[in-house]
Amino acid sequence: MTGMTLGFLLAVLTFFMLYPVYDICRLSFFKEGMFTLKNYAAYFTNPRIFRSLTNSVYVSLITMVITTVLAFFFAYGLTRTTIGGKEIFYTISTFPLIAPSIIQGLALILLFGRNGLITRYLFQTDWNIYGATGIVAAECLYCFPNALFILYTTLSAVDTRLDEAAQSLGASALKTFYKVTLPSAKYGIASAAALVFNLTITDFGVPVVIGGNYNVLATEIYQQVIGMQRFDLGATISVILLMPSVGAFLLNYYLTKKSYALISGQARPFLQPSRPFKRWAFTIYCWIPCILILIVFASVFLGSFVKTWPYDFSLTLKHFDFPSLGGYAPLWTKFWASILDGEWQSMIAYKYAPIWNSFWVAILVAIGGALLTLLAGYIVEKKKPRGDQVLYTLSVLPAAIPGTVMGLGYILAFNKPYYFFYGTFWIIIINIIICNFTLGVLSSIANLKQIDKSIEEASVSLGANPITTFTRVVFPLTKTAFFSNAIFFFMRAMTTISAVIFLVSAKVKLAAIEIIFLDIDGRTASANAMCTIIIVIVVGMLVAMRLITGKAGLKGMSASA
Amino acid sequence: MENGKECLMGRNLRLENLTKTFGTLTAVDHVNLEIEEGEFICFLGPSGCGKTTILRMITGFETVTEGKIIFDGKVINDLLPQKREFGIVFQSYALFPNMRVEENIAFGLKVRKMPKKMIAERVDQMLDLIGLRDWRNLYPAQLSGGQQQRVALVRALAPDPQVLLLDEPLSALDAKIRVRLRAEVKRLQQELKKTMIYVTHDQEEALSIADRVVVMETGQFRQVGKPIDIYKFPVSSFVADFVGTSNFFKGHRTDNCVNTGKRKFKVAQSGSIPEEEVFLAIRPEKIEVFKYGEPPAHLERSNLVPGRIDVVTFLGAAVRLVINMDGEEVISDVIEKDFEQRQLRQGEEALLYFPPEAFIIYRAREGSQ
Repeated sequence: MTGMTLGFLLAVLTFFMLYPVYDICRLSFFKEGMFTLKNYAAYFTNPRIFRSLTNSVYVSLITMVITTVLAFFFAYGLTRTTIGGKEIFYTISTFPLIAPSIIQGLALILLFGRNGLITRYLFQTDWNIYGATGIVAAECLYCFPNALFILYTTLSAVDTRLDEAAQSLGASALKTFYKVTLPSAKYGIASAAALVFNLTITDFGVPVVIGGNYNVLATEIYQQVIGMQRFDLGATISVILLMPSVGAFLLNYYLTKKSYALISGQARPFLQPSRPFKRWAFTIYCWIPCILILIVFASVFLGSFVKTWPYDFSLTLKHFDFPSLGGYAPLWTKFWASILDGEWQSMIAYKYAPIWNSFWVAILVAIGGALLTLLAGYIVEKKKPRGDQVLYTLSVLPAAIPGTVMGLGYILAFNKPYYFFYGTFWIIIINIIICNFTLGVLSSIANLKQIDKSIEEASVSLGANPITTFTRVVFPLTKTAFFSNAIFFFMRAMTTISAVIFLVSAKVKLAAIEIIFLDIDGRTASANAMCTIIIVIVVGMLVAMRLITGKAGLKGMSASA
Repeated sequence: MENGKECLMGRNLRLENLTKTFGTLTAVDHVNLEIEEGEFICFLGPSGCGKTTILRMITGFETVTEGKIIFDGKVINDLLPQKREFGIVFQSYALFPNMRVEENIAFGLKVRKMPKKMIAERVDQMLDLIGLRDWRNLYPAQLSGGQQQRVALVRALAPDPQVLLLDEPLSALDAKIRVRLRAEVKRLQQELKKTMIYVTHDQEEALSIADRVVVMETGQFRQVGKPIDIYKFPVSSFVADFVGTSNFFKGHRTDNCVNTGKRKFKVAQSGSIPEEEVFLAIRPEKIEVFKYGEPPAHLERSNLVPGRIDVVTFLGAAVRLVINMDGEEVISDVIEKDFEQRQLRQGEEALLYFPPEAFIIYRAREGSQ
């Protein structure tokens, strides 16, 4: 039983993760069966393309520093002070997780773009945010919750009695912070920084809408492949992008482990009331990122309902009638086409098809992803057969591979006539599950760790076979984790862009990808509207889940390990 | 169940040269034991002595490195745990938190596909056994630790297992409940006449509950016997020290005298070898304590030693004294009445008497008799 499941999971991960990456490497190093570095020579000698590497590293480093610092003090406020409204702060800070990363880009364009509310309407300036500034600003907002999760965990786990001990020995508050608080959180800080770097350098959505002429690695891959049909150069850039992203991932992984090792079981989360000044300062500080996040969401919402941003703010629904980006969705189109006609027919049956597709893809990804990662976690944590470490390594690896690289890999590996699933929704579903496998497995393992080994043995000793034990005892106990994993996969499927942008086609369309195409077409308002619809669906699902399971929340759903 | 003795042969459990190694560590080292049907056996030893490993090999959760486990005449080394029909009670209760009390008890019956009506009857019967009928619809988390362990006990008993294995079942509970549940386990065992194998590191628990106790150290059996024999006649200084409390003196024996350097004790047994290094062991309750200067005349003079009472601890019916005899500390338990009558006080001098027949003598080299 165990052996078969292990074999199956290893085969799936090898075929759908290692094989595409291998194909990319092969294409970048070999031409007609001969080893060559020509592609790399071409990359490094073309200044425009080469700039994408320095650009990527530059924006990623700046984003890393800003986000880590911002998130650290935010986490400090939430864990080490007695400010009010911590729940609100925490909840608002998780908002960026429920939307595609482009939302920050769209919002910044609405506010600071060529026709920005602030740039054009308020200050009448020609300055705009496109380029590095925009990318950094948007990525900071996008990465904020991810960094926050790590720092929040770190700071709430570190023993506050150490701080008290230092102060009782006569150290000033500032000195205590530098000598005790900061060093004890150093691994958490470094791991958050590495994660932000990884997220930024691999992100595709933000630079594609707000980057302008500022090319980064992730967008350059897309340009080379889709724009110029240069698969070899795309593969080469992918390999180059893999290095910093895998490096940052490994660093994050290693540091997270170290940081957890520091957590003492003795930690007493008791807080002395903070002095009024400290309380006020941190309350104001915590409102800043929260307000920025709220502004992002509010602008995109508003932007999808007003006639002509920023000149005519009268309300309209016309942007929700997506301009002729019609698609086709199995069942959906047939059904609505048969009962509606005229304008309604074209809108609901065809123009809304991508949304319907996204929804079903997300449902299937949620079920499939949560099941597969629970099984993988169960085998690694509880069954520990020979080869479990191989499975663990393969399960953790996807987080290291940028989405764009995985997407290109899928084209190279599977665009062959005998792979019947290529060009269908199935390859998209598989791709999203694989790309997000890491967090699912890690959270399954963390959850299964909490189940006493004796409980399973009790079931077996009472005469239950392994299948009964799993279905009657283990699965019910992991139900909450299963549902929160399912929600995580659902959100990722609704909002992901980077990998699947390579896999969509005229027939197979997804809502999140449509945002990009609408934006590229200059239909910014409709892009906002599509984004709004996605958010509504995700929030609706979160609420539904909360009603079903009695609990939800986004805790532990970041892209962090 | 009343006709439980119909089978004359008895389904015995036999361990033959049972061995378990983890890498270079030998956790269980060639042990042999025959457990009779209906017997209550207790494995007693410090943590890491291999007692739980033996239990896990019997349950089938741990593989056997060498030797055999024979049940009812058949070698069961490779039988899957779910096929062994041995009930297990875990230290952590291991109740299924997602099931109610009655569902927990019914679990083993359901997987055996027993008819619904019979399951209901059996569950009632089990709940009555532990007096928790009114609690049947609660979830484990709503019960106290003691109640949870009772449920775990009857859950394991419900499918009528051949043998019940209990792995430190009471060590997560607090002292009072531990003693009460101990008695309850004993009562159940006598009522159901079920073979039970009980693992514990608590010597008091082992002595009070078992028909036979197996004292273990570093993977080996040090002594197997009835509780009273183990307490009264420990075969080695390890057993004497681990089971109950003992005072030890190292000395040199000549005939029926042992010279510890500071003093000479008279002992009841004479050695077979003329001169040898020995350990003398004596239980605290065997030492008599008198007020300084007034010992009864008939006592053996050489076994009277003066000392100062350093610590006095009331244990209820007895009083435990820590007495300093010229630098050597001795523990003595005196019944409360004597403590009062003899006017013993902390910090004062006293006279200790070591009855010659109360000493158990071990050869120093191997620490055994």
